[in-house]
Amino acid sequence: MSIRLARAGLSGLAIALIALSKSTAHEIVGNRFFPATLGIDDPGVNDELAFPTVSSFKTGDDPSFRERDLSAEFSKRITEDFAVSIAPTYSFLGRPGGPTGTGANGLQNWETTFKYRVYKNPEHEFVMSVGLSVEWGGSGVASVGADPFNTYTPTIYFGKGFGDLPDTFSWIRPVAITGQFGYALPGRNSTTSFGVDPDSGDATVDTEFHPRVLNWGGTIQYSMPYLKSAVVDLGLPDFINHLIPLVEANLQTPVANTLTSGTMTTGTINPGVIWVGNTFQVGIEALIPINRQSGTNVGVIAQLHFFLDDIDPHGIGKPIFGNATQPTKLFAGN
Amino acid sequence: MQRSTLSGIIPLLLMLATSEASAHAMLDHAEPRVGNKVAAAPHEVTLWFTQKLEPAFSTIIVTGPAGQRVDVGKTSVNDSQMSIPLRSGGTGTYHVKWHVLSVDSHTTTGNFTFQVGQ
Repeated sequence: MSIRLARAGLSGLAIALIALSKSTAHEIVGNRFFPATLGIDDPGVNDELAFPTVSSFKTGDDPSFRERDLSAEFSKRITEDFAVSIAPTYSFLGRPGGPTGTGANGLQNWETTFKYRVYKNPEHEFVMSVGLSVEWGGSGVASVGADPFNTYTPTIYFGKGFGDLPDTFSWIRPVAITGQFGYALPGRNSTTSFGVDPDSGDATVDTEFHPRVLNWGGTIQYSMPYLKSAVVDLGLPDFINHLIPLVEANLQTPVANTLTSGTMTTGTINPGVIWVGNTFQVGIEALIPINRQSGTNVGVIAQLHFFLDDIDPHGIGKPIFGNATQPTKLFAGN
Repeated sequence: MQRSTLSGIIPLLLMLATSEASAHAMLDHAEPRVGNKVAAAPHEVTLWFTQKLEPAFSTIIVTGPAGQRVDVGKTSVNDSQMSIPLRSGGTGTYHVKWHVLSVDSHTTTGNFTFQVGQ
């Protein structure tokens, strides 16, 4: 067998092995439903549409200004365990933001993420995926901060539910954690700009180094649906039984090529709540900056998120290579 | 068609033939209610799920406070509802372990407890 033939056979076998695993609509592992989270990506691979996601916060710049973002994300499964997503964001920068200090608005760079679910253990409610995100340099508007170069971020995602704890810890069984660790690699090490000092008239050279950044974060969630069905049915109103209160951490730490950026970690802690239905979810969280460099006051983010694999399992919600997924009803009724 | 192309297509066809689309039957609620206390031992346990169940492969096992089986007879399944008769096992904590196969062939398991006594 030639090397070329062996390669073709192996790639085909890999595709077949991928598809032997059972599929489910949105990310359910055992009895655990992992919702789509607003700050970091969830550990699952699904057909879904998050639109709109809106946020408002005051940036960590000096002087600070208000930034409002409107974004969307569309994720499409190619196979049961492999998906590609695209995510545009439109930003509105208030005064004194933007290059002229009078505010600016426009598209940020488009982002594409390739994500593959590598492991799923229903008994222990554990799931892990790997991905590569590409921010396409130059696809956005420079005045809102879009870089002219690509940035590549390989990322690991995981989720773990605690439903396998013994009865002694039954009240902790509705808890789940998720996390992600990504390493952002800018396609360019530095950018040098030339100018003229307005006071002296001398030529100036300004070099900005683009750091490699660890994008990391996690969530801790308490699932009211899980509490009702597996720990104690408190007879709460139906609305409450659809809620998942959670706290997210979304952090960035420059770790290399940090000459001009410094190494300070920035990011936000986001307490909030997600209401989950059978075909969509709604989430809202506060954005609490962890330091001055991360923002100057508490912001807010909200999202409407559709489970396309449940809304249209034989159409747009069907993997391109693979069978349609039956809709998963998390709750009785419609 | 080149051999290399064929060797890639065959596993792809295998994939399309064997991949199994499925969905979960999640427990919606139960009687006695999950984690709750009832005054007297119930005569049966009934579970309601979010999907239709396959009767042949859906079961409930109930153990009493001393760890003894208290379920008697056969699990009965009606659409998305499943129940099993019980004999009294005294006061204390009862464990309910369920295993269901939804009609689209996905298995789900779970367990919960309820209390009997004042």
